[in-house]
Amino acid sequence: MSTYVYAITPADHPLRLEGLHGVGEPAGELRVLKTDALGAVVSDAPEDLRAKRRDLMAHQSVLSRLLDEGTALPMRFGLVGPDDGQVLAALDERRDEYGKRLKEIDGCVEYHVKVSRDEADMLREIVAESAEIRELNEVTRERPEAHTERLRLGELISREVRTRQDAVAESVVTHLAPVGLGHRVGSATASHFLNVSFLVKRDEAAAFARAVDEEVERQGAGYVVSLHGPLPPYSFV
Amino acid sequence: MSVMAQSPTTAPSQGGNSGTLYDVLELILDRGLVIDAFVRVSLVGIEILKVDVRVVVASVDTYLRFAEACNRLDLESGRKAPTQLTDIVGETTESGAKGKTKGALSGAVEAVGQTLGRGRKGDEEPESADGDGKKTTSRRSAAREE
Repeated sequence: MSTYVYAITPADHPLRLEGLHGVGEPAGELRVLKTDALGAVVSDAPEDLRAKRRDLMAHQSVLSRLLDEGTALPMRFGLVGPDDGQVLAALDERRDEYGKRLKEIDGCVEYHVKVSRDEADMLREIVAESAEIRELNEVTRERPEAHTERLRLGELISREVRTRQDAVAESVVTHLAPVGLGHRVGSATASHFLNVSFLVKRDEAAAFARAVDEEVERQGAGYVVSLHGPLPPYSFV
Repeated sequence: MSVMAQSPTTAPSQGGNSGTLYDVLELILDRGLVIDAFVRVSLVGIEILKVDVRVVVASVDTYLRFAEACNRLDLESGRKAPTQLTDIVGETTESGAKGKTKGALSGAVEAVGQTLGRGRKGDEEPESADGDGKKTTSRRSAAREE
């Protein structure tokens, strides 16, 4: 039976797993594997694991509990070793590396920040600020066949959108990063032009939340900022 | 809800909360530690989960979409302005304000809906998500009215 791995912890982590269950249907039973220096939270790996809500929740819930009670390296969802023995062997083999990483994230949590802006709101601003864009907008409205002008209009708007997004993204990262120990920017998506994670000391959490509030104030209306956390430090292991 | 939409708002949340699971999905699926020698089970449907596609800003398709949105935008605001101005005084406060609020907020509500809506989608089996953003938003609106 192959072994699903949730997290790697120091050997002295309390590892209280009451009330939690593993991935799979029926839910796998959580187990702890221990070496002298490290522990791993595992369960039997289901044959046909898929990214169902209950499985993602199970994975995330185990990591949240471990985070509440100590330090843990969160594994990526879906990581499976051949058997318990191989997991223990990996813990032994990488003992120093895992120990070092655990130290680095000790007492830290991840906060994930997403920023979006209402498109119509932004377009109004762009149109208001550029005579050339207003002109091209008129031309293309009156002559739908004006393909060159249409492309030019789109290109100009696109450039303005990018400039604004870059400026806000830079501001957010510049103002929030100093409160944390590290940050990692993800790819922009259709709904959020900025996705960024911050590694923050637990006792700096309030200061971080304040910094986010200040940044929201700074950017003003039109932007929607969402803050998620405290999370296991997925982005910093 | 209007308050949230009117001003940019932060929504601190616990990662273990199902309402925000979808918002941190990328972290759970794409980050986190891997052990080199181990495999990641082939997760059918995981690509489908990532409905929030990455955007390419500099492409002809994007240009055309922006141009079209811009054309439409002007027409809409052109229609709206006179309505507000010609409203009789007694009704101006209410309908004028309402109209304005709606016009200004509908987009913002949608933006918030997208943020929170994905949490709602998390209540479903994610592998059934088909990437239809509108569906997410409307489902979430219905849920919020409860």
